[in-house]
Amino acid sequence: MKDRSNIQLPSTAVPPDGGKHPRGMADLKEKISVRDLCFYYGESMALKHISLPIYEKTVTAFIGPSGCGKSTLLRTLNRMYDLYPKQRASGEVLLDGHNILAGGQDLNLLRARIGMVFQKPTPFPMSIYENIAFGIRLYEKISRAEMDERVEDALKRTALWDEVKDKLHSSGMSLSGGQQQRLCIARTIAVRPQVILLDEPTSALDPISTAKIEELIYQLKADYTIVIVTHNMQQAARVADFTAFMYLGELGEYGSTDQIFTKPKEKRTEDYITGRFG
Amino acid sequence: MNPAQNTAGIYTADRKVLARNSLKDSFARYLTKSAAVLVLLLLGGVIFALIEGSLPAIKQYGFGFITTERWNPVTEIFGAKAPIYGTVVTSLIAMLIAVPVGIGIAVFITELCPRWLKQPISTAIELLAGIPSIIYGIWGLFILAPLLQRYIQPALIATFEGVPVLEGLFSGPPYGIGILTAGLILSIMVLPFITSITRDVFETVPPMLKESAYGLGCTTWEVVRHVVLPYTRTGVIGGMMLGLGRALGETMAVTFVIGNAHKIGSSLLAPGTTISASIANEFTEADGELYTSSLIALGLILFVITFIVLAAARLMLLRLDKKAGK
Repeated sequence: MKDRSNIQLPSTAVPPDGGKHPRGMADLKEKISVRDLCFYYGESMALKHISLPIYEKTVTAFIGPSGCGKSTLLRTLNRMYDLYPKQRASGEVLLDGHNILAGGQDLNLLRARIGMVFQKPTPFPMSIYENIAFGIRLYEKISRAEMDERVEDALKRTALWDEVKDKLHSSGMSLSGGQQQRLCIARTIAVRPQVILLDEPTSALDPISTAKIEELIYQLKADYTIVIVTHNMQQAARVADFTAFMYLGELGEYGSTDQIFTKPKEKRTEDYITGRFG
Repeated sequence: MNPAQNTAGIYTADRKVLARNSLKDSFARYLTKSAAVLVLLLLGGVIFALIEGSLPAIKQYGFGFITTERWNPVTEIFGAKAPIYGTVVTSLIAMLIAVPVGIGIAVFITELCPRWLKQPISTAIELLAGIPSIIYGIWGLFILAPLLQRYIQPALIATFEGVPVLEGLFSGPPYGIGILTAGLILSIMVLPFITSITRDVFETVPPMLKESAYGLGCTTWEVVRHVVLPYTRTGVIGGMMLGLGRALGETMAVTFVIGNAHKIGSSLLAPGTTISASIANEFTEADGELYTSSLIALGLILFVITFIVLAAARLMLLRLDKKAGK
């Protein structure tokens, strides 16, 4: 087995203060703990003994070359892989100390607690208003007025309100790509999840929309635990407090973003972040 | 050879190639265009022939043709009300059964089915579409109708006795053959069309869109109801219309099991007739201009009904789009 001595295991993790985080490092709480996680697509092993912490109300980025397993890791955190036969995981993913990989989970409830946004905007085939109200309605019975408030709130938090307030009842698909993606984020936060998973959320967007989404991520981490997969290293450096570098299904290196980008411990990490491969 | 001559040679060659290509291009353009025009010509020809053939009947009966129930070749009084009623009601029964079942099968195949079962079910559905309608007719007459007569229809009559409206629909002697049986046969016949088209369009839903809905905490039912169906509604309605078109025009199987009576019974168990069944049954014995013309007029009416159905489908799609805010 590969030497994993350089990886800080959750139990002993004392994250070095990157100086970016507004709160003191001492009150960081582990929201999710990934422990010895392996993942299989049929026979092939896509994740090999991954262990890392994800701290509450911080942004954790997964970076690494294509096919390194960063999206796969993200998809185990809300058990999205369960939709497909022949995909399975072993090990533990603890959400507030509770193993979500164990049997007997209510997956729908789990996914309502852990929201997800995808590479491409995926507005539902309904109006802008309904795109947001739909998710809320799944789990809550609230009055029309309250619903209006929740929708407005979600749209305001994603800075979309001013752009769409006059056409709430036109199709979500009529928006531009960047607006659609912000709508998807609004829809995700409207159901008040605890964790938000972002799978390359800006890979299909132009630079201005990307900047807006990054700004949004920065604001959202006051309330949510955010995990972002990105193949854009500048983006990781800009938005993340902690960064995990993945390589060929293994966790290459994990640490505070500053440490990963300024003094990586591993040669491979340094090669990747300086653009020597990837 | 000097360079100038050389380039001139190339240009000439190029020009030849270009000329040949543009010839090919225009040839292809005219070929495809004439194929497209041919369809319009054929359609126009059919309409013209139908109208021309039904002129004597139209002159004789006028609008009364479609409101008269009587069909008497001896006294030459013809009315299309019974076949129109039979056509519409049998197709309606077929759609009532085939649409939910077909969509259900498609949902099962695309969203829930274990992989090993997917292929057998799909193949079975496709085979169902390949069975000639005469086979459905024979099966309906010799197997289904006696079964219905002995078990199902008496049970229906007993169950709905005393229930308002439904009592009337399921009353009278259980003949076995009749409107209901024809509707059942039709539903089996159109099922494969609806199923395979809805399955195909369900498979066009991007996995990421479905994952987004699951990601919000949706159950499979909610994903199908609120994401898959709205996303694919054009295709689903298209599949339904294709099925309806087949049900409206289906001749052979219906002729076997509907009873071929030119009357409108209040009960679904009563025998009736459809437009296509009447034409198939009576064309060989139609003597006299008026009889033949009346049958052609029936054909024209079927054509119009089909056209109205297609137009209604378009209208429905437009309204759905408006509702979705497009």
